[in-house]
Amino acid sequence: MLTTVLIFMPVAVALIVWLLPLSRLAAGGVALLASLAEVGLWIEALVRFDFDSSGLQFHQRQSWFSDLNVSYHVGLFPFSLWLVGLTAVVMAAAVAYAVWVGRERPRAYFGLMLFLTGAIAGVFTAQDLLLFYAFFEAMLIPLYVLVGVWGGAGRLGATVKFVIYTMAGSLLMLAAIIVYGLQQGTFDLLEIGPSSSDWVFLGFVVAFAIKAPLFPFHGWLPDAYRESSPEVSAVLSGVVSKAAAYGFIRIAIAKFPGPTSDLRGAILALAAIGLVYGSLLAFRAPDVRGVVAYSSLAQMGLITLGVFAVNDLGLDGAVLQMVNHGLISAALFLLAGMVERRTSTGEFALLGGMARGRPALATVLMTTGIIALAVPLSSAFAGEFLILAGVFQQGWGWAVVGAVAIVLAAMYILRMISGILHQDVGPAVPEAALDLRPGELAIVVPLVGVLLALSAWPAAISQRSFPNDQPQQAVRSQFRAVSYVVRETQVTLNVSRGTP
Amino acid sequence: MIWGAWLCLASPLAAALLITLGGNALSRRGAGYLATFATFVAFIGAAISFFSLLSHDAGDRSHLSTGWTWIAGGSYHSGFSVLVDPLSTMMMLIVSGVGGLIIGYSIGYMDGDPEERRYFAYMALFVFSMLLLVQGGNLILLLAGWGMVGLSSYLLIGFWQERHSAIAAAKKAFVMNAVGDATMALAFFILIQKTGSLDFGDVFARQGFLGGWAINLIALGLLGGAVAKSAQLPLHTWLPDAMEGPTPVSALIHAATMVTAGVYLIVRTHPIFEQAPKIEDLAAGLGAATLVMAGLIALVQTDIKRVIAYSTMSQIGYMFLGAGLGAYANGMFHLMTHAFFKALLFMAAGIVIHALAGEQDMRNMGGLRELMPFTRWCFLIGSLALVGIFPFAGFFSKDSILAAAMDRGWYGYLLWVAGLAGTFLTGLYTFRMYFVVFGGQRSAFVREHFHHEGHGEGPFSMTSTVATLAGLAAIGGWIQWSPFWHPVTSWLEPVARPLVEPANWMEWTSSGTALALGLGGIWVAWLLYGARRPRPVPRVAPVESALVHKLYFDEAYDLAFYRPAMRLSLLLGRFFERPLIAGTGRELAEGSVDVGRGFSRLQTGLVRTYVLAIASSLAVIAVVFVAVR
Repeated sequence: MLTTVLIFMPVAVALIVWLLPLSRLAAGGVALLASLAEVGLWIEALVRFDFDSSGLQFHQRQSWFSDLNVSYHVGLFPFSLWLVGLTAVVMAAAVAYAVWVGRERPRAYFGLMLFLTGAIAGVFTAQDLLLFYAFFEAMLIPLYVLVGVWGGAGRLGATVKFVIYTMAGSLLMLAAIIVYGLQQGTFDLLEIGPSSSDWVFLGFVVAFAIKAPLFPFHGWLPDAYRESSPEVSAVLSGVVSKAAAYGFIRIAIAKFPGPTSDLRGAILALAAIGLVYGSLLAFRAPDVRGVVAYSSLAQMGLITLGVFAVNDLGLDGAVLQMVNHGLISAALFLLAGMVERRTSTGEFALLGGMARGRPALATVLMTTGIIALAVPLSSAFAGEFLILAGVFQQGWGWAVVGAVAIVLAAMYILRMISGILHQDVGPAVPEAALDLRPGELAIVVPLVGVLLALSAWPAAISQRSFPNDQPQQAVRSQFRAVSYVVRETQVTLNVSRGTP
Repeated sequence: MIWGAWLCLASPLAAALLITLGGNALSRRGAGYLATFATFVAFIGAAISFFSLLSHDAGDRSHLSTGWTWIAGGSYHSGFSVLVDPLSTMMMLIVSGVGGLIIGYSIGYMDGDPEERRYFAYMALFVFSMLLLVQGGNLILLLAGWGMVGLSSYLLIGFWQERHSAIAAAKKAFVMNAVGDATMALAFFILIQKTGSLDFGDVFARQGFLGGWAINLIALGLLGGAVAKSAQLPLHTWLPDAMEGPTPVSALIHAATMVTAGVYLIVRTHPIFEQAPKIEDLAAGLGAATLVMAGLIALVQTDIKRVIAYSTMSQIGYMFLGAGLGAYANGMFHLMTHAFFKALLFMAAGIVIHALAGEQDMRNMGGLRELMPFTRWCFLIGSLALVGIFPFAGFFSKDSILAAAMDRGWYGYLLWVAGLAGTFLTGLYTFRMYFVVFGGQRSAFVREHFHHEGHGEGPFSMTSTVATLAGLAAIGGWIQWSPFWHPVTSWLEPVARPLVEPANWMEWTSSGTALALGLGGIWVAWLLYGARRPRPVPRVAPVESALVHKLYFDEAYDLAFYRPAMRLSLLLGRFFERPLIAGTGRELAEGSVDVGRGFSRLQTGLVRTYVLAIASSLAVIAVVFVAVR
């Protein structure tokens, strides 16, 4: 029941915001309260969650189309719990930022944001393929509007690209779901058996690769991340991209063990290329958001490396890094927005020297930046370390590429920090030193605070993403995370590789 | 008393957080006092750990305390734990003791800087990071401290953030250290794969299971981290640039503590290095090469801080030489005395720089002998200790490393010769600096810019630190005189048993030769720079220009790594990303419009066309059904 509330409470409030003639202030206030309530609900779920149990928790099932075995089936696994939490926190920050900035047409805007919150929570909790698809689409549609209506000058081009790319991905996924579900006779993720079809697998993988995005499916990314309003970029790169990584874990790897091990090399290669490619482009991006956008591409490559390492180290690290990157990139996009509000530009050529007289901005940006470049002792370091240690076991070359990318990450993040904060005062930087206001601090400091807390205890997530049933069995623990998801289908990795 | 170690670790972190969060609520002075106080609390914590270890038997001097599981994935996990053993307590004492002195000095040195609070927050953060590095109870925490000291070094080098050169130097230092972090991380991946753990105990106990190539790669990865942090060949180019930071920073981070972390790493992980003797020899060889190279470059530097920086590289070369040869205690002993006399030299140089309105170019100095007698004597003590003149600190620690080299076959003798050459160079460049700065006539610049602060040669916070360090540099080496007494070696014995045991004649030969060569260097420096009528300095133009350009390492790295990466990123952007990826959206959009236009032509509005289409479709479907049946 709690899961359903997590999904539909924001949607219900969205309807209220749309229907009632609320003032600007009231619409924003209601939306902010609802998104904070979502965080509260998630904390409730976290407190009541039993990390020792291996089953689905807070689950609910209602038959929908009984002849096709489609049902409304939702519930939380430990790793989905963390992603729902990420969603709640980032959405709350995004809504708060929008309230702070005061968006035009507030009722439409905040309704869409709340609807989006519910849809994303649905994606992370759906246990039925068609329901998953429904939530996935429900997540994309508000985004089209949010980018297309409230974006910057080039928003139309950005939206068209975004729509075309994601539509292509969605259609592929829909086709894959229909074929897969009809083959297996059910759409329920807990009941559906593994498949060995490479084509169906590729349908899912390409859909998720576009959403993530993975190289070379990232054509929509630079424009969408630049032209959206900052809080929408924060949601896009912080949360929505994680839906793709979640799909890799929950569907691609868990349901297609055979194709996964056949095609793993190719996917790892794309992920590794994306990691280096994104880092290199981030290093030459001329503006703040460009750096964050391309670093998102790189980070999604890194997370995909961890996922397709298909071992416990990699998967645990990937879940941790999803949360890390979600918080980091949301914080960076919001900070970019705050910088842009002061200077009306994000171009490094016009920025610089903002640290002087703005200690709060400098401290927050510097802290976020150094966590983003994964300085050891940060939670991002823990995530990247686990991911690379995991993928190292698939082949040392992947980890070497990852290590090179970490050095590149240091280069582009430091360039971004210096470009904003240090050296000569840029021509666009106003004389009047306007530091972060308390309201702005209240938006970003919680994100950074969570990151710092996670830095002190990254194992809180990485140790609690997949339940540890039998830690003593060495062989089993090697594939604990994978076997766990696969076991939902009562099939182990080895058996499934033999089945036709 | 393990809580002493936790106190030691927590107190500087608490100070850093308090200063950051306190903002304007804390006065600038208050921030300085808070940071100093916290570091001395850390020193007390370290002392508590030291004395409680002392009360245990030699065999029972390793205590691990785990707070919580810090990082975990799959079956691998590491706790957030502190290790108290002879090696870590020795480092804790050095770091918090010297750190406390230098932060206290900073109260005077940074007085009046508008961003003093930020400075002291960074300094406290650095002390925390360094303590984490030396106290970390497993390799991953060691790496965490390793990265964090790199971060604080970055922050402090770039402290004056409007200066382009400072920001560039800070970035360079961070990126070169990130290279070292990356090679260490790769070594850890091998360890995780082979042993499933990063705890010191597990890793060192299971060393036998590791194959030959694996152990060599692991040692190589660790060595990569060590040379990056300790500015040894080939990752040394960041250290001279790091002198852009405030002088106390150079003293604390880039001389006394952080840059010697590589030596600590080798000693800490010596069971791994001992399994990979080739890598050990490589470490010693790199140390020897660095000490000679840095000594040569120091001869032509004109910036007083850069001369001291190169001498730091050179001295760490000695430590690497010792640690690589297996003379762990000697390396650590030199680390300790070096912390005293190098911090002293920097602090004294800082007083000079302060008195000359920030001037660092030695060519503008001269004749400060009478103007700053106190500083001059302290600087002299530091210089003598650096050169290794009896009875100053460097004599006891450096010569025992050289003696150890004699006990290691022909390779050892090769290194021994390099080390002795380094002694001569040390005498030469150190006293060139001393004579140029303090000797001779007062230069025009000095006459114009010299000013007293009104109360002697500096505020009490500065002079007291310098005096304390001068005392330590003078007598700090007496705690160990290898042929006669060796408490440092026996203290460290439970952690790192030395591989070499030089005979007494080796000690005497090394000491005698090194002392003679050091004095020779001083004598040559006197002839060229100190005598009333100095001889003309012999010059060999191509050599000099190569040395002035620091043997072209910067240029080579620029050409080999930076420019290709920049070029690649530009080319990728111009010829791949823009036309092929970012452009595809528009092409897709236009393509779909074209397709739509094509289909729209079918909508003729003529019923006969539609009927034809329906009929022919039905026919096709019928044929298909019949055929499939």
